[in-house]
Amino acid sequence: MLIDRRALRNFDWVLLSLAGIIPLVGLIVLFSAGYEPDSKPIVSLFGIAVQSQAFVKQSLFFLLGFVALFVVTLLPPKVLLSFAYPLYGVCVVLLLVVDVMGLTIKGSQRWISLGFGFNLQPSELMKLGLILGLARYFARNQPKGKVLSLSELIGPASLLLFPMALIAAQPDLGSALALGGIGAGMILFVGVRPRILITLFVLFCASLPVAWNQLHPYQQRRVLTLLNPEGDPRGSGYHITQSIIAVGSGELTGKGYMRGTQTQLEFLPEHTTDFVFCVLAEEWGFFGTMTVVLLYGALIYRLLNIVLKARDHFSMMIAVGVAATFSVCAIINIGMVIGLLPVVGIPLPLLSYGGSAALTMMSALGLALGVSVKRRVYK
Amino acid sequence: MSSGESYQRLSSFAARRVQVIAILLVIAFSILVVRLWYLQVLQGERYRIKSENNRLRTVYIAPPRGKILDRHGEVLVTNRPAFNVELVPEDSKSPKETARLVAEITDQPVEEVLARMNDVTRRRRFEPRVLLSDVSRDIIARVAARRFELPGVVINVEPARDYLNRDFAAHVLGYIRQVSAEQLKSPEFARYRPGDMVGQFGIEARYENLLQGERGVASVIVDAAGNRLGESKFQEEQSGSDVTLTLDARTQRAADKALEGRAGAIVALDVHSGEVLALSSAPRFDPNDFAHDISPTRWAKLTGETRPLTNRVLQGAYPPGSVFKMIVAAAALSEGIIGTEERINCPGFLPFGGRNFGCHKKSGHGLVNLNDSLIQSCDVYYYTVGNRLDIDRIHDYATRFGLGMTSGLGLSEESKGVVPSRAWKERYFKAPEQKRWFPGETLSVAIGQGAVTATPMQMARAMAALVNGGFLVRPHLVRKVTSRSGVVLEDHDPEKAVREPIGVDAKVLKIVMDALIGVVSDQRGTGHRARLSKDFDVMVGGKTGTSQVVSAEFFRAGTKTDDHAWFVGFAPAEKPEIVVAALAEHAGHGGAAAAPLVREVMEAYFADRRIAPSPTDGSAKNPVKPNVTPQSVNEEPEDVD
Repeated sequence: MLIDRRALRNFDWVLLSLAGIIPLVGLIVLFSAGYEPDSKPIVSLFGIAVQSQAFVKQSLFFLLGFVALFVVTLLPPKVLLSFAYPLYGVCVVLLLVVDVMGLTIKGSQRWISLGFGFNLQPSELMKLGLILGLARYFARNQPKGKVLSLSELIGPASLLLFPMALIAAQPDLGSALALGGIGAGMILFVGVRPRILITLFVLFCASLPVAWNQLHPYQQRRVLTLLNPEGDPRGSGYHITQSIIAVGSGELTGKGYMRGTQTQLEFLPEHTTDFVFCVLAEEWGFFGTMTVVLLYGALIYRLLNIVLKARDHFSMMIAVGVAATFSVCAIINIGMVIGLLPVVGIPLPLLSYGGSAALTMMSALGLALGVSVKRRVYK
Repeated sequence: MSSGESYQRLSSFAARRVQVIAILLVIAFSILVVRLWYLQVLQGERYRIKSENNRLRTVYIAPPRGKILDRHGEVLVTNRPAFNVELVPEDSKSPKETARLVAEITDQPVEEVLARMNDVTRRRRFEPRVLLSDVSRDIIARVAARRFELPGVVINVEPARDYLNRDFAAHVLGYIRQVSAEQLKSPEFARYRPGDMVGQFGIEARYENLLQGERGVASVIVDAAGNRLGESKFQEEQSGSDVTLTLDARTQRAADKALEGRAGAIVALDVHSGEVLALSSAPRFDPNDFAHDISPTRWAKLTGETRPLTNRVLQGAYPPGSVFKMIVAAAALSEGIIGTEERINCPGFLPFGGRNFGCHKKSGHGLVNLNDSLIQSCDVYYYTVGNRLDIDRIHDYATRFGLGMTSGLGLSEESKGVVPSRAWKERYFKAPEQKRWFPGETLSVAIGQGAVTATPMQMARAMAALVNGGFLVRPHLVRKVTSRSGVVLEDHDPEKAVREPIGVDAKVLKIVMDALIGVVSDQRGTGHRARLSKDFDVMVGGKTGTSQVVSAEFFRAGTKTDDHAWFVGFAPAEKPEIVVAALAEHAGHGGAAAAPLVREVMEAYFADRRIAPSPTDGSAKNPVKPNVTPQSVNEEPEDVD
């Protein structure tokens, strides 16, 4: 691997800065969200006692994440290409393992225990596996016509649906949907015959009643809640009602840092993980949410920019996959928190508390940065 | 790098796609921004007010604990509503002042009430602190009358454990108490939260998992002063399962009553199944006391010298005294060491190894056969027989009858007692000169003194094996466990009870058993005070025992401490159903002090089978007591063993 001046010039410094700024914002929010007034301080930073275990853990994970980001950035495309399928395979095996012997937390098996209180969430790692797997597939299998025919769709669709099914079985509908969004984004980028899309759409609508019955009752309730949140504000609508109150009550400028009553009085469950956006919205107001939305907009803009500048199909599809990951997860998560989409457990990339997600997302950015560096190194 | 296609082609392909994607993303982000604008700016004030008035609180609801019933379905332990006076700090401008006022209104010590504000289990500002728990309606009325001066004070109802008969069967039922900090650290208690009530003793502890139930989760709407306006449940609480015991409430009550005012133990077993019909240890305690804070003086009493928390039925190991002779008799007959008709002369003592081993009857019993030896409890007979048997064979038979091992009841820690043997002495003593077994020790053991000790449960079990044809039963206390929805979770069918053959010929057991009937029915018998009143057509058999107490007190006070009194009986004599073992600490002789206790228990057990109802209806309820007093029955000097 050569790092020459051209590589440095091509390096996307804006994207790297965003990869630093967004987690920093996340940690600031997490410091408040995970604040436990009565617990013993874990460490003391610059004279400030830190009373949030989530904050300390997540800080460490982002430090690790930066290491991962640089390592991945420096990986030569050849290495990535040869490791794409094996990594995909490892991820699938880990999913199988978690289905068989994973830790059950809150009714779902999503984690593999690594000891020392750390758990690995393979469904997060699978996102990387899928991006590389599909990119690797399309690097060699371009559609013969302008877009994919039905027979050409079978390969990539299988690569996507198999891990999706494993994750859905955990059951973790949110992660399965997120993975579906990433995969669908990549496949649609390559292109699919309109006829097939229309047929699939019709089939999807026809199968809805069947799929509905396959959902767990709690999942059904969540969908119904979205359609009518006032129906049962203290039952299944509790979460979304509290979430919307939190977001709305932030008003233009917010209630002030660490002064969000919804969060600090624990009306809002899961406020360090999937609902961290609420804490931001409540304490920093519309200015805060706009800042984060703009940061994500800038991030995705830079990722699409890298897509345009990629020199080969493999690199381009990687960049597409990374862009899809951030777009899909951010839009679904924010949409869910503000009551536009049903409550499915999808973390907000780089902001939600979660070690596996932090490492995965930083590595994904590393992949994109790698594409940006190498685009003119190899001719 | 995969193909030779031109960068131009790839780039124009990408550009078209990216354009479409960019448009879609702009639309999606615009929707998010518009929605956020709507929620935070247009509707922001509305939501701010909502959040300020957000009085929706998540609370956990303690599940009603399962009931405990006797074998006939009589409720022994249930739950009742308890009223607590609680304070939500968040709702009060100055919580401390409010708490102080509550204390003044209710005449409670101010310091104690204030101390409860620092409840380690409830730390968040909106979590209520329990200022006064389980208070009377009078106090509730006093607080309610001045509620407007007491912002944040709420009156809450919680299920409290109700031991309906106070200290009835306290050692069986046990008690519940807040889960301790040590317990919370262990994985067994992973699902508990600080403040949860947990079974800590007896059946309450043993069946904790089934009695507990599942806690419910609810969100409660309260107004600005903290009053509940309504609630809705996320998750219903699940009642615990009901436990039906093998205890017979009437028999148990008689056992408890018989031990009133003394220290001792009574246990009654079904001879065939090992079902525990009554288990009483005295002094007792009132399980209701454990639900709340226990004052230091009361705690000192509970852990003090009389040790009310000790279950003497299982944990008290006493020398079995003459009761042990029934086992020695069975051993001697089985081993062919003595015939039923062989007579041994008792001059009142036996010279052995250079000293005289005395019989309890100084003047001697004269010529005594096996039957006489048990009826009159002749010591010289058993010195002789024991010497012929030798200690290791005695050990073997005692073990077959269940001595020296736990009964398997599993209610609490059990004492194994001691069945001495040469091997035991070798193990037990350290100094070489103490390890040797002396023949004189065998003589002491043969009459149930010396190193041999047994619990009342072990003696009841041994007697059951003797009279049920030679099967060692496993005592148990639970007949079945039923979930609130009626599903039977555990079913201990008495027909399928665990029994192990002890390997002693049924004919031998019959001979000993017949002699034991004589102990009660024969005029010379040491146990005649166990006879039921004339109202009952039920014959009782059994064996008395007196265990010598050589305690430190004896040396200190210079006075002889009274011996422990034993009686282990069975009935009906011809076809035994029940065995009752009674031990009265420091009460004197078994025949005088313990046999009447067994009689009282048996009369309660056989109450349905009374043949001659008393002439008047008034006394029919309690016909047994008044006239047939033990004192009137016997003046005989032989009332010792």
